[in-house]
Amino acid sequence: MNHPPKLQVNNLTVNFGNLMAVNNVSLEVYPGEIAGLIGPNGAGKTTTFNAITGLIIPSSGKVFFNGHDITGMLPHKICRLGMSRTFQVIKAFAHMTVEETVRVGAYNRCNEKNVYKKVDQIIKLCDLADLRDKLCSDLGLAILRRVELARALATEPEMLLLDETGAGLNQTELLSFMDLLRKINMEYSITLLVVEHVMQMVMGVCSRIVVLDSGEVIATGNPESISTNPKVIEAYLGKRVPQCY
Amino acid sequence: MKQILSTKYLPFISIFSLIALIPLVISKDQYAMVLVTTVLLYAVLASAWNIIGGMAGQLDLGAGAYIGLGAFTTGTLLTRWNITPWIGMFIGGFVSVSFAILIGLPLFRFKIKELWYALTSSALVEVLRIVFLMWDEVGGPTEKYLPGGGDNALYSLRFSTYIPYFYIILIFLVIVIYLNHRIRNSKLGFSLLALGEDEDAAEVLGVDARGNKLKALMIYSFIVGTVGGLYACLYGFLHPSFFSTEISTEVVILGIVGGMGITYGPFLAAIFLVSFREYLRAALGGELAGLYLAVYAVVLIVVALFQPRGIAPLFRRLFEKVIRSLGGREHESSAKASS
Repeated sequence: MNHPPKLQVNNLTVNFGNLMAVNNVSLEVYPGEIAGLIGPNGAGKTTTFNAITGLIIPSSGKVFFNGHDITGMLPHKICRLGMSRTFQVIKAFAHMTVEETVRVGAYNRCNEKNVYKKVDQIIKLCDLADLRDKLCSDLGLAILRRVELARALATEPEMLLLDETGAGLNQTELLSFMDLLRKINMEYSITLLVVEHVMQMVMGVCSRIVVLDSGEVIATGNPESISTNPKVIEAYLGKRVPQCY
Repeated sequence: MKQILSTKYLPFISIFSLIALIPLVISKDQYAMVLVTTVLLYAVLASAWNIIGGMAGQLDLGAGAYIGLGAFTTGTLLTRWNITPWIGMFIGGFVSVSFAILIGLPLFRFKIKELWYALTSSALVEVLRIVFLMWDEVGGPTEKYLPGGGDNALYSLRFSTYIPYFYIILIFLVIVIYLNHRIRNSKLGFSLLALGEDEDAAEVLGVDARGNKLKALMIYSFIVGTVGGLYACLYGFLHPSFFSTEISTEVVILGIVGGMGITYGPFLAAIFLVSFREYLRAALGGELAGLYLAVYAVVLIVVALFQPRGIAPLFRRLFEKVIRSLGGREHESSAKASS
């Protein structure tokens, strides 16, 4: 880990009124890795994502991407610098076809001439060729997660933030999605930061994991050390009660 | 050229050629001429609205404001400085754009959208109406008649029949629909559609929300302002009632009923709804005042219930069926592509 971090979050804090959703969170993501961000419901994972990608402005703290300070920058400018994301609650373009959806993302780096080539390439990569003329409102959850990934990939990011892409997928869908994530990480050297509840996915693809609880980082490490960390187990399952029998 | 004629522009060209022939048939009937001109006028306004409302999803109720600004700019330039409306209406368009920027910048900066945007744009109409009602030099409570007519008809754009207006507005309509078509298939169009669907999702895909919405608002207000100049010449006078919330609402209804974001949707809606409404007014107006509006409202509700995406998809299916039965396969793909 001698490289400078791709993404560096320093003492990030987000308040919603009196509620401290994210409290003094610091984390780094290094180039080329797949990092995981996990934690129980309400731990502040999605809020951290929103603050990193510019959808909300943090109350304090700094976010650096490739060494640039991107704190409070507009989302489309962050995207132009090379970072995009997907959403936990699907935000599909319901009345647009799959192809049109991908084209929106592709315009980030392409002009009118080479946009078609990019769209074709991404649709092939994400295995959406059969569905390219289907309206997003006609598609199921598993496919829409793929479409969200596709349109984010079309922006040609250096780094992608994936918010619970495994949620609601069945076993086969999950495995093929994990393959796709490894593929874009290896072949296109896109750094990934994934928020995930599905442990199979986290343990399967992530090389390093950050655990959040109640807005604070409680542990950082590789999957093995995280799965045996008492603080993490406590956050997920609660404290072990002294047994009295 | 042969290529263009044989494929995707064929329906477009044939429909507008047919429309251009209408005055030859009905030019004697003054009422029918008023009707078709009104239909085209609303078609232009609703097609312009399609850019900001249909594509970008901003429920803009400010059409009346831009019509009024365009009308007063054009009319005042003509009466005071004898500047021909041919130039005046484009200056009117630019005045409308300036106002649009003035309200668009803060609205989009502070992410005011949906209902709040609708209310703000609607308020603009009302505020301007009152300003012009009190501003005696330009507006004022009495009608200000435009000079011209007779030998000067062409210079002052004041014709004694509706036929020249009909053709001028038809040219506007062709330009605006073509512009819609071009935008719909360009980066701007895709950005606007994405913003209309989900602003957050569009932004993280690199779509500049403020910039693109402002662009859409500028294009829309320029077209509506320019049409406003024509509107003043058509009626031959200026009055603050040109700042009309009714027109704004009508434009939005046509845009929505036609089909949000569909190039020819507002045009179809204008043909059917405006002529239907005028027919009802003529047929039922004598029986009971206001009855035609009640019937019109029922039709709108039926459309909202059974065709929530607008009437354009219905027509597309019909069109494709007709084409298929004629055996012309080549048009199917082009009909899809041009929507």
